[in-house]
Formats: sequence, structure tokens, C-alpha cells
Amino acid sequence: MTVDTTDPVEKPVEQSRRRRFVIPERFFTFQSYVALILVFLAAIIFSPRRNGEIVFLNSENLLNIVRAVSEIGILAIGMTFVILIAGIDLSVGAILGLAATGTASLLMVNDFGVAMTVLIILAIGMAFGATQGYLSARLGIQAFIVTLAGLQVARGLARIWSGGQGIALAYGDGPDVAPQAFSLLNSRTFNGTVPIPALIFAGVGVIALIVVRKTVFARHVYAIGGNERAARLSGIPVTRIKVTVFAISGLLAALAGIIHAGQLNQGSPNDGMGYELDAIAAVVIGGTSLMGGVGTVSGTLAGALLLGILNNILALNNIDSNVQLLIKGVIIVAAAGIQAFRSQQK
Amino acid sequence: MTAPPLLAMRGIVKHFGGVHALRGVDLTVGAGEVHALLGENGAGKSTLMNILSGVVRPDGGGIELAGEPVALGSPAEAQAAGVAMIHQELDLVPQATVTENLFLGREPRTRLRTLDRAAMRRHARELLDDIGVELAPSRRLSSLRVGEQQMVAIAKALSLDARILVMDEPTSALSDSEVERLFAIIPGLRRRGVGVVFISHRMDEIAVVADRGTVLRDGRNAGSFVVAETPPAEIIRMMVGQPIEQLFPDREPPAERVRLRVRDLTVADGSDLGGRSEPRGVDLDVREGEVLGLAGLLGAGRTELLDALFGLAGHRLSGTVELDGEPVRLSDPRDAIAAGIGYVPEDRRASGLVMMESVAANIVLAALPALARAGWRRAAREREAVASSIRDLHIKTASAESAVGTLSGGNQQKVVFARHLLRQPRLLLLDDPTRGVDIGAKSEIYRLLAGLATSGLAVVVASSELPELLGICDRIAVLRGGRIVTVLDGRDATQEAILAAASIEQNSNPSRMEAG
Amino acid sequence: MSRTIRALTALCGTAALFAVAACGTESDVPESAGGSAQPDEGTECAGADGEYLIGMSQANVAEPYRQQMDDDIEAAAAEVDQFEVVFADAAQDNAKQVADVENFLTQGIDLLIISPNEAAPLTAVVERAYNEGIPVIVLDRKIEGDSYTQFIGADNTEIGRAAGEYVATELLPDGGSVVELKGLPGSTPAQERADGFRAGIAANPNIEIIAEGVGDWLREKGQSQFEAILQAQQAIDVVYAHNDPMAEGAYLAAQAASRQSEMSFIGIDALPIPSGGIKAVEEGRLSATFVYPTGGKEAIATAEEILVQCAEVDKEQILETELITVENAAEIYARNATQ
Repeated sequence: MTVDTTDPVEKPVEQSRRRRFVIPERFFTFQSYVALILVFLAAIIFSPRRNGEIVFLNSENLLNIVRAVSEIGILAIGMTFVILIAGIDLSVGAILGLAATGTASLLMVNDFGVAMTVLIILAIGMAFGATQGYLSARLGIQAFIVTLAGLQVARGLARIWSGGQGIALAYGDGPDVAPQAFSLLNSRTFNGTVPIPALIFAGVGVIALIVVRKTVFARHVYAIGGNERAARLSGIPVTRIKVTVFAISGLLAALAGIIHAGQLNQGSPNDGMGYELDAIAAVVIGGTSLMGGVGTVSGTLAGALLLGILNNILALNNIDSNVQLLIKGVIIVAAAGIQAFRSQQK
Repeated sequence: MTAPPLLAMRGIVKHFGGVHALRGVDLTVGAGEVHALLGENGAGKSTLMNILSGVVRPDGGGIELAGEPVALGSPAEAQAAGVAMIHQELDLVPQATVTENLFLGREPRTRLRTLDRAAMRRHARELLDDIGVELAPSRRLSSLRVGEQQMVAIAKALSLDARILVMDEPTSALSDSEVERLFAIIPGLRRRGVGVVFISHRMDEIAVVADRGTVLRDGRNAGSFVVAETPPAEIIRMMVGQPIEQLFPDREPPAERVRLRVRDLTVADGSDLGGRSEPRGVDLDVREGEVLGLAGLLGAGRTELLDALFGLAGHRLSGTVELDGEPVRLSDPRDAIAAGIGYVPEDRRASGLVMMESVAANIVLAALPALARAGWRRAAREREAVASSIRDLHIKTASAESAVGTLSGGNQQKVVFARHLLRQPRLLLLDDPTRGVDIGAKSEIYRLLAGLATSGLAVVVASSELPELLGICDRIAVLRGGRIVTVLDGRDATQEAILAAASIEQNSNPSRMEAG
Repeated sequence: MSRTIRALTALCGTAALFAVAACGTESDVPESAGGSAQPDEGTECAGADGEYLIGMSQANVAEPYRQQMDDDIEAAAAEVDQFEVVFADAAQDNAKQVADVENFLTQGIDLLIISPNEAAPLTAVVERAYNEGIPVIVLDRKIEGDSYTQFIGADNTEIGRAAGEYVATELLPDGGSVVELKGLPGSTPAQERADGFRAGIAANPNIEIIAEGVGDWLREKGQSQFEAILQAQQAIDVVYAHNDPMAEGAYLAAQAASRQSEMSFIGIDALPIPSGGIKAVEEGRLSATFVYPTGGKEAIATAEEILVQCAEVDKEQILETELITVENAAEIYARNATQ
């Protein structure tokens, strides 16, 4: 009892800081939103104008942006959970291709209904992800390796499924065509304004935000990423959570694949090539640490939108596509650099 | 005229943002002197040492080495000036061998500029022999216990021809015999004229090893003393500002009912044992309200026995474990938690806390499913649980949402306690619960333990600090090679008796003083 | 607390895009109604007094042939005062190409030129442009349906036939052995260049195709395939490759075996670039190559007819190939090169 009085208030832990200037922690928390707002403002400033109208702010253009990032955005949401447990999922682009191919094949070749097709494809994606999660969590193979292998397997399966060719979708009633209902994915709702894929993306985003805020599962994900041993010693079912996380990533990749097939009227085994890297970029820009345990779904959403706006404004200004790649690279490095700076400051 | 002291730090000032870490601190160390640096966590010891080793630049004051003013602008400059640090967290490469670590960055070369492995092995052997460490230089560092790794770090620092050696709690992870080995090299250092700054929370060690001492409190000098002339109670008074009347609280004797019954518990050897011992045929009874201590040298199997009781040995475990007469299966920590067992592990940074998460998130971690409804969190119940934990355990934190890394060691430890207490365990396993914790927080943890035991909890506590075991335990089980060699009554056990049982060779040990 | 704020901010970010879009939508309603009437307005041609923005959506400029197509368009458009051309590259990604065309529409282009990566995925967006009253010129690869103004492309079967006839009459009038190096299996051009060639050599029954290799359009693949064929075949008179890079690869393999003088090499494409087939003919490695025209120049000519001259154009324009030999190589190179 006598000891308590010596130290009434917790003193900040002594730290070794060599740097003079210190960026307030608050900035990091909002890093991706600050960046999103800056890019949004920059886009308005640099937007071409036509008849006094700012082309970038044109409603159709803004909705096009959300539509264009919907697939990457959905992949990135799944990727966020994977990266939060200090994993990585390189297979999502390939699973997207497999799902797109499978969707087209089931609809056109097997004459399955839309509901049946969607269920089967989502189940395949989930099972694929869960298998990768199991191999990584149980056998202790690094996620990078497991999903690198998964990438090859998914591409191979897609090629075998379709005979190596893309399968084009045609709509109508009767055999050898897809049900008209599936073409909804390539349409717009609310008087033909809001693209359906954008709505699905928004829906997945809201669900993910709720899951992160409200479920025990999400807390377990953060704990495993932050300190796996401590999580295990706290009775968290580490293997089950990891398998679930990869299953979610696979499921969302399959969902993105279904959307992909619907948007492009085709499923091809080469679809989604390199999408995993864009998804990882969105997550990193969103402030999620590749070391695990730190990050937010909301940041990822901001990161995905940021990439979309960036692509759009560069295209609207007819910036050479090679330069676009450079600018994207710089932004990713900047986002990661800010994170590195943050952990140095700690 | 006397020679100037080897090291003189005068009027050192340092602030971080608005926080004054040091407000004009003096420290002088003579050649061949072992100088104890004491103070509670947050008193400024680490900042002062970071300034000495060039990691942090002071905002005011000056440093002289043998009378020459020096500017230690970087760790490299400090090292060149002859300052060597042995940190609490070791600057070693876990994947490399002992030899490779010893020569990292200054590997001997042959005439062809290739790595001279023979010379490396030879020198490594010599360095280790110099300080009496029996380790194969070819062992991978990650296969060593924390204590053995520390010995490597010390060997490396000594090999750098340091004039000033800063040891930041060097013994916190060492077994008694290793502590003796470490202390055995100190006369040699004295002869070479090396000045040692020795940071420790352990009064007994300071009494054995140090000549003089300096106490810091709140970033100021709270006093300095000559060890031989100053009773420990006086030193503690300088640290905390007032005397501690009783470090170990009195406690009711335990009940008769047996809570934990272990019979013939054995763990099959795993792949990488690295000199540790798994439990072998352990029989153990712990009663309700009893605190049972586990003593033994480093590697005797204390941690491994606790790990096994918490389900960490998985399927390698055999034998029977009963709680309140019911047999329990322990193949995973989840089994143990479900059965009502809590575990505060040895290394709270590596195994206990999720450092980047908040105090609240860390407290509720194990109780989340219990506090939730069908997997959906109930924020109000979580807040209540956190608030009552912070209140009951006197966890000092700015807010429940502060990052747990901002707390002092003692309060971090209490967070881990709180996590398991929330599950209302029947049996609590503690592995070195006061390691790296200052004396004030130690006292609180002992008080907390006493309260828990009085309320009927059974506690098994492993510790490398014998005075601590003697002060808090009803009985002390001594381990050697994974077996329990004897169980002593806490009231009449002595350090000599424990050490005699723990060591194969019956060495006579200089008595180490009890604190407080 | 801060987590709530963060989640809200992110939601707002997404919502903001929707909201701003939704607000815009209302004010846009009359405008988009006007837009849907555009096919009628499209017939009002501003002619030579207008200024025209042309969008060129390329499938993948990483292929030299497609880079050449863009260069041809740029060069031809520079000659027309009223034209400004903007380019987009889909980097072989269908989804990116859809977004590229959408961005063009947002920018308010007056005419779309597109060389589609694949037919099915791009049909919908091209249809949308066409239905908004924007003339569409489709280059090289077709889209499905007929929602376009003109298709410009070369006939690969005809090129193959021309190559076959050249072999039958000029190189091997007395007959001989031919080795064929094919493009990527399953690709339409590879199939057509093979079929056309067989039709072309049919006139001379003494010509025999003694071996076929698959070079996937790639120089290194052509080289390794032909190395193997050289081992197996003692007498080879002509190597017919489905494109110039594979023909060059075969030449390298023959050179390594010191057999390059025993046989003639012919290819297809004849790009007017330093690493292209015309230079290879000029420098004597290839005996002949056949121009696979990019259609870039013709696309701008068609655009001029539509926009400046307000004329009707044909639905299809098939481009003729041209034989390149050492006699005309330098001249054609100078004519076709854009830089």
C-alpha cells in the first residue's frame, strides 16, 4: 500500500528518438483518409472541364470509378483480414479467374440457374481458400508459398475447365445460353444510374466494417496478427481462425470472379491476372501493416477508392499508361514509407 | 591530486516533448568499480544509459571519459570510445550460431579474404572459456535459453575491449548458477580497470557485486551510497521515497482440499530441446488457497512443467492431471482454459501481450467469447470487465484505450494477470511473474497473489529469485532434470537447502541477501 | 471512440462518391435525356469547321505491332488539323479496356477507335458508345454484333495464300521441302495463316511441308523449335514462319548450325521498325516478308471521311498485304516508318 503513492500517474515509457520532428499519431490513424481526400481534391483541380462542368465530378464518372474498383475492392477486403494475421494471399487473382471461368461454364455449358451457379462458385472459392489456410496454419508452410502454389493450381484448374479458351456469355431462354437474370451484373439500378457491382462492393464493405467492429472473430484476428503466441496462450483457436480468414479471402475472390464474368460477358482463365497485387496495394495504402495486427477495413476501402480515383484522373488527362504505373508505384512506396516512419517513431 | 574518474556524467538533462525524463543527473564511475544504478521504472535509468551509449542525445550537461570531454553522437562513436551495452533485449541474430554472433560484422578473414572459420571457432571458444560458459560455439542461438543467449551477449561485449560496460538487468534471465558465473568474471574486469554500470532491481545481487550505487527518482539523483555501509532498506527508501514495511504479506494457511493432482506427468522430448528438460514422472498436489513454488536451475524444467500443465506440450504429454478430482485432458491451451487454468507466461512481450493493442483489448482477450453473445461482442459488458480489472488490480494507465506498450513492466504484468483472472480460474500458473518489474510493483504483485490465494485459488509459481519463492510460497518444489527432487516447506526452507537440492554438485554458495 | 470515427470516415468516403454521384444524377437527368437523343443529332455533321477529339483504345502496346498501330494513327492524325487523338492502353486486361472506353465517353470523344483485346468482354461498352451516337472504328480484331461503324483489318488467310504462292512460284518453282513455324495454337491468325499457305502452295504439287513447329509467336521459341527440326531434317529449302520474330529465331538456329545458306526464310508482319521484318529482309536474313497492315493510317482516313467530309462509309475495309523483298525493302521501310 505504501508503494502506490510514489507513482500516481503512469509516466510515458522512455524512448530513444533520434529524430527531431515528430508527426502526431493522429495523422497516421487517418493517413489513408487524408490521402483519399487529397487525391479527391487534386482530381477536382486537375480534372478537365467541358462547358464549365468539372468532368471528374460528373455523376456517371464517379459511379464508373466505384464500378471500376469494385472487384479489386472486394479482393482487398478479404486480403485485409489475411494481412492482419500477418499472412498474404497471392491466389486471389487466380481464384477470380477460376470463378469467372466456372461461372461462364456453368451458365453456358451446364445450363445451371443463376442461384445454383453462384452458390457453387462461392463454395469453390471458399473451399479453395480454406484449404490454403489449413496448409498454411496446420502444416506451418508460409502463406506466401502456399498461395503462390494456389495461384498456379487455380489458373490450371480454370484452363482445364474451359479448355484454355474464354467462354463468352450470351443471354436468352433455352439451352446453351445464360439466364437473362445474370446480365443484371452488367446493368445499373436506380433509374440506370448505379452499377450493380458498385452496390455489391459497398454492401461487402459495410458487412466487413460491422464484422470488424462487432465480432469476437475480428478481435481474434487482430490478436493473432499482433502476437500469435499470446493469442494461443489466451485460448484463441488459432488454426480455426486462420483457416476462416483464408476461406473468407477465397469466398470474396470467387464473388469478385462472378462479378467479373457478369461485367465482361465472359469468363476466361486469364482473367484477374495480377489483381492480387492491386489488392495488396489497396490494403497497404489503407495503412495495414504487412507485419500483421495493425490495420483497418475502412482504410482498405479508402485505399481502393484512392487507386480508382487515381486511375481515373490520370486517364481523363490522357497521362501515358506507363507513367500511370510509375505514379502508382510512388504512392505505394509513400504509404509504406509513412508506416515505416511510424513504427520507427514508436 | 587524484586521477579523474573513468566516467563522469554531469547535469544531464533530457526531455521528450513536454516530458522531462532527466532533470540534471550526475553519475561518476571509477576505473575498476562496479557501480549500481537503481530506480523504479520511469526514473530515468534507461534514458541515462541510452545517452551514455550514444542512442539518445542529451539536451544539457556533459560527459567526460577519464577527464576528457566527449560527445557521444551515435552508438558507433560510443562504442569507439569504449562504451559497451548489454541490453535487456539482446542485439543478437537468433538464426546464426554462437560463433557467428560473436564475430558479427568483424569476422576474421583468411589471406584470400574468405571467412576464416577455423579462427572464428578458436576465438569463440576462448571468449566463452574466459567467462566460464560451457556452450558449443556451433549451436544456433535460437536453440539457447534466454539466459544462455545473454551469456553470449556478455561474452561479445567483453570481447570488444570495453572500458565501460553497461549491464542492463543482466541477471533477470539467468539461473543462480549462471549469475554466479557472471559474478565470477567481475574481479577480472576490476583488475583490467573496466568500469561497470550495473542496473538491477535485485538488492541481493547489488550487495554481492557492487561497490557504490546511485539511485534515480523522477529524473533526479535521489542519493548515492557505498554498498558496504548501507542497509538495503535504506536503498529501497531512496528508490521509492519512503520505506516499505513488509514486502511479503502475511497469509492464511491453505485449505486441506486438493485442487490440482498430478501423477506421473511426463512429456516426450520434442525435436529441439536445446539443453532444456521436459517433465519426467512428476507427481504434485496443490491445495486450494496454496501457493506452490517451483525452484531449480535454468534448464531444470520449471517453464516446461508449467507449459505442460497449460496444454502446450500437446500430444507429447502423458500421465494424469486432475482438477478438484476431475481428470482433465490437456492437449491444447484451450483445454486448459476451459478447465479453469490461467497462465502468466515467462516473457510477457513475446508470449503475454499484444503490444500494439490497447490495455482493454489485452485484458478481455481470453474472455471474449464468454463476454459475447453468439460471437457478437457486447461492448458494455466488455467495458465493465475492463474497468473492474483496472480497478481491482490497480493497473496504472492513462486510459483503458492506451496502447499496452506505454505501461510500465509491472502494470503490463498486471494486464496479463487480469486477462486470466477474468476467466475466474481455479488454478493459476505463473512463470517468473516479477521479472523486470520494479520493487514497488513487485510488492503489489505479491499482495495480489496473497489475496487470490486467500480467496481459494491454487497458485503454482516458478521463479529464479529464491527470496521471492521463500517469501510467498507455502511449499517449494525443487526441479532438476525435469524431475521433482524434493518438496520443501516454505516456512523453514532456506536458499542453501534449495540450491543444494537443485545442483548436482553440492556447492556452498555465498549467501545472497533478501531484499526488504 | 476513434475506431468509430474511422469507420464513419471510410463509410463517408464510399458514401460520398455515391452521394456526389446521386446529386449529380438529378441535375443530369435532362442532359442524359438529351444524350439519348444523340444518334439523331449525330447526323448533324459539323464538317471541316469542327474540332474533333478521337479516342484510341489499344489492347496492349507491349506488342510491337500494336505500338506501330498507335504510331501510325498518331502520324496520320497529325496531318489532319481538326483532329486530336488521345490514347489508352489496356495492357491486355479486358476490364481495363472497358474502363478506358468509359473514360473516353466521360471525356466526350467524338469518335472511338478500338483494337479490342477480346470480342465478348468489349462488345457491351462499344455498343454503348455506338448507341450514344459516337462513330466506332474497330481495328484488327472484331467485336460481336454490328454495333460499330467500320471494321478495318487484314485477311490473314489471304496473307497466308500470298506467302504460299510466293513459295510455289518464286522460291521453289521446281518443288522442295518446307518447314512451317506456327503461331500460338488456338489463335485465329495462326490457323488462318496456316490454311492460306496450304491453299497457296497447292498449285505446285512438288512442294511438301516436311515439318511443323509451334513457336507461339516468339523469337526464342522459334529458335529452339527450329534447332530441333534442323537435327531431324537433312534437306530444308524454305522456312515459313507465321511471323517475323519466329523467322528470325529460325535463322539464328540455322546460323548456329552453319546451315543458313542452304535455305530461305520468310515471315509475316513486316513492321517498319529497326527490329522488324523489313530490316531483316533488307539485311539479307529473310528472303521475304508480307506486310500485315496495322490499319492505323486507314482508320484516320475513315475518321476524316465520317467527321470532316460527313460521308457514309462501308461496314468493312479489308487491307491488302504487300510482298517485301530485298528489291523494295528500303523503299517500303522509308514509306511505312513513322519516325
